[in-house]
Amino acid sequence: MTDRSHSPRNPIVGTAQGFGVTFKQIFKKPITQQYPEYKRPLYPRWRGRHRLWRHENGLEKCVGCSLCAAACPADCIRVVPAENTPDNRVSAGERYARIYEINMSRCIFCGYCELACPFDAITLGNEFEISEYARDDLIYTKDMLLAEPIKQVPVADPELYDTPIPYYKTHS
Amino acid sequence: MPELVTLTIDDREVQVPKGTGLVETAMGAGIEIPVFCYEPRLGPAVGACRMCLVEIEGMPKLQAGCTMTAQDGLVVRTAATSDKAAQGQNATLEFLLLNHPLDCPVCDKGGECPLQDLTFRYGPGTTRMVFPKRTFDKPIPISPTIALDRERCILCYRCTRFSEGVAEDHQLVPRNRGAQTLITTFEEEPYRAPFSGNVIELCPVGALTSTQYRFEARPWEIQNVPTVCTMCPVGCNVTVTTREGKVKRILSRNHPEVDQGWLCDKGRFAFSHLRAEDRVTQPLRRVRRRGFATISWEEALDETERVLRGAGGRIVTALSGSETIEHAYGLAKLLRTGLGAHSAVLPEETDVAIDAFRLPLSAIRGAELIVVVGDDPVAERAPVVDLWLKLARRGGAEVVTIGAAGSVLTAPGSAAQTCRELAGSGSELGRRLRESERAILIWSSPGGHGGAEIAALAGELGFAGKPGSGAFHLPATPNGRGVADAWAAASDDEGPNPEPIAVLVVSGDEAASDPHVRALAERAETVIAIVMFERVALGWADLVLPGTSYLERDGTAMNLEGRLQRLRRAAIPPVADELSWLSQLAARFGVDVSPYPAPVFEELAGTVYGGLTLGELGERAALAERAQIPAPAPDPDTEPARPSDGHYLNLLPYRPLFAGAAVERVPELQFQRPAAEVELSWDDAQRRGISSGDEVLVRSNGTSATLRARLNRRLLPGVVRIADEHARDLHATVEVTKP
Ligand code: SF4
Ligand code: SF4
Ligand code: SF4
Ligand code: SF4
Ligand code: FES
Repeated sequence: MTDRSHSPRNPIVGTAQGFGVTFKQIFKKPITQQYPEYKRPLYPRWRGRHRLWRHENGLEKCVGCSLCAAACPADCIRVVPAENTPDNRVSAGERYARIYEINMSRCIFCGYCELACPFDAITLGNEFEISEYARDDLIYTKDMLLAEPIKQVPVADPELYDTPIPYYKTHS
Repeated sequence: MPELVTLTIDDREVQVPKGTGLVETAMGAGIEIPVFCYEPRLGPAVGACRMCLVEIEGMPKLQAGCTMTAQDGLVVRTAATSDKAAQGQNATLEFLLLNHPLDCPVCDKGGECPLQDLTFRYGPGTTRMVFPKRTFDKPIPISPTIALDRERCILCYRCTRFSEGVAEDHQLVPRNRGAQTLITTFEEEPYRAPFSGNVIELCPVGALTSTQYRFEARPWEIQNVPTVCTMCPVGCNVTVTTREGKVKRILSRNHPEVDQGWLCDKGRFAFSHLRAEDRVTQPLRRVRRRGFATISWEEALDETERVLRGAGGRIVTALSGSETIEHAYGLAKLLRTGLGAHSAVLPEETDVAIDAFRLPLSAIRGAELIVVVGDDPVAERAPVVDLWLKLARRGGAEVVTIGAAGSVLTAPGSAAQTCRELAGSGSELGRRLRESERAILIWSSPGGHGGAEIAALAGELGFAGKPGSGAFHLPATPNGRGVADAWAAASDDEGPNPEPIAVLVVSGDEAASDPHVRALAERAETVIAIVMFERVALGWADLVLPGTSYLERDGTAMNLEGRLQRLRRAAIPPVADELSWLSQLAARFGVDVSPYPAPVFEELAGTVYGGLTLGELGERAALAERAQIPAPAPDPDTEPARPSDGHYLNLLPYRPLFAGAAVERVPELQFQRPAAEVELSWDDAQRRGISSGDEVLVRSNGTSATLRARLNRRLLPGVVRIADEHARDLHATVEVTKP
């Protein structure tokens, strides 16, 4: 291996080369996107805030089986099931999730919960603007997860969306 | 030494004693033969499920491995090396799943289900069944504690074999035949038997599930804590399942010498008393006549200190026998060395003489002659011992019960006399006991001087020199011996019984419910009660300090064999546990009590257990060697019971298994508690024209009770049995009439 730290080099040349790079950028079109004024459309399969779903008849799809909690690598789902009764039928199966909580501050948005769910009861949506001022507010309850997200993020039309060519393909 | 045979399993040579089951043989060689119905504890294999199919050289068809034993020269191939066996098992699983619902996400067994696991490993990945599956109503509550889901049942008959062949209650039965078979209870009555809960653990699928555990937790959400049940003196080894800090269920942990993996329903289901609505979670002080006000811990300790100091040593302590040894020692050290209060009401008499005839409970299985002396059924005093007796009887042992309701009838309360007769030269049974190499004596009655009585008999029969023969004393409290040891270890001094009593310290709910202790409380100026439940202390205790349950304690307890076992804390109690505040209180009197059980045990073990350490007890505690103690002399003044004159009957009150402050607070166990019944012998009932189910009036000198009559053909004429909670104020002789 050659030791470059001692190779003779003119410091003026080096400095000029560096400024040259900066100078060239001045004439290029900037690629900065002004978030939040401009919201860049997301990929349709972007994994963001979770959503719990209902059947068309209004019953919850989730049966409180805790399989999502088992799959979750961040251990951030808590499910406490209870039994459906004729007077209080919440889901289609024998049991339902009496408590369903996701701690968003721990979630790594891997989507394993969605994969594990045998009833497609939970999916990951596109919403990512979920920061809060207090950590406790990041624990989403069942009611929050069943509701429509308050903030919506634009999702690109998959037809129009052109996948950018990866950098390594053009520069290698 | 049994003959060894050599056989080949999956190209591996294995040598085992002849007659070993093929499943165990393979397991010993590290080869799995999957099973559902096979369970050696339930008796001979039935070959019901066909999961264990193996190919055997020379046999044209696949064989059920569980029904075979190791034979010389056998060449066995399991699914690992034989395609035929693998195909057979795959087909078996496909058949089992034919009508099995896709319930895994809502099934309590999900995640710890043998059917799931074996299907995953040996079964088809997909189903070919497109037609609708068979459905039943579900879940069916076959008792308040057990739910049955017939759709999930794979008809392995484990549950019915348990009911028929282990517990011998004959209540869970198969109905119909072939594919139409249903599991049901006899006559569709609730499954009311002391060991019913074991079928939940036996069922390899989610067909029999616990109603208490229904939808409570999943296997990946729980913690399991190995501890010991101290609801009775057997001390079964249990695993306590907790989720989010709450106890959700109790499973057996199978100590082969103590419980063989069976539990009684009290041990299994009574845990919900931890969350009783009248649980004491704050120290209380009596206000007015029948009320309590909560006070802070600081106030409570100040008040306790003031009361104890003011007593001038005139203190009596009543113990329950359900404390851990450490807790009892802490209390004893505070009161005895700190305050010189040596007077105690110990939960029961104990005697070391019985240790000379010590045997593990599993020795009952190998005995040839077992004599049970006493009026109480073994199942009421030490339930799991009853299962050992049944196992011995099925194995050909002769079990003789001598008592007011035994196979040999004697007057109530004459157990000690029976012992004298057996020791005498005229007794035929005594002679056989003397000659037998494997004979066992069991005392199942109140009294008995803590085992001294039965030990004296064992000594006279020469059991000391026979390692296969021994004696058991069935005590009334779970840890009475340990508590007595702890009390003795704290001090060597003696003190007079104080009169009048300034302070009565009552430790535990059992002591607080005891009528004798209540009578003592009448005479005490101040009563300090350490109890779990408010109602137990209401109206007579002046200061209540919160108690904890055995599931919330760390420590040790000694069971009826004399086995020292380790309890571990499964759930954090809602209050500071006894040792922690005892240590603070003791510090105020200049006594050093550690708030942690381990140093406390170390301290007391040096005095009473020969320096044993907690680590030496281990997960499944071993039984200490027999002690070399000369047998005590028999107690000469045994008073025979007064024979009944026909009109007046002798009342034999008994303490039922399903009783006590904890059981009263478990809604699911209420159906197991004894009904308001009086058991009458056949003769007495006929003479009075009473038949089973009649309402009768039971009267004695000024008090009376209306109870339902039940005929007990095994009861001695002239005796009536009533559970003590229904016999409260009745005297020793009663009249029974039809109103
Ligand atoms: S996305 Fe991943 S980390 Fe987040 S809740 Fe689901 S499984 Fe857990
Ligand atoms: S979301 Fe799906 S996996 Fe999670 S508990 Fe509900 S049904 Fe089960
Ligand atoms: S209920 Fe369970 S234990 Fe009983 S036969 Fe069915 S599967 Fe076997
Ligand atoms: S037999 Fe005794 S020790 Fe065993 S589970 Fe029942 S109460 Fe507990
Ligand atoms: S395990 Fe052999 S037939 Fe069931």
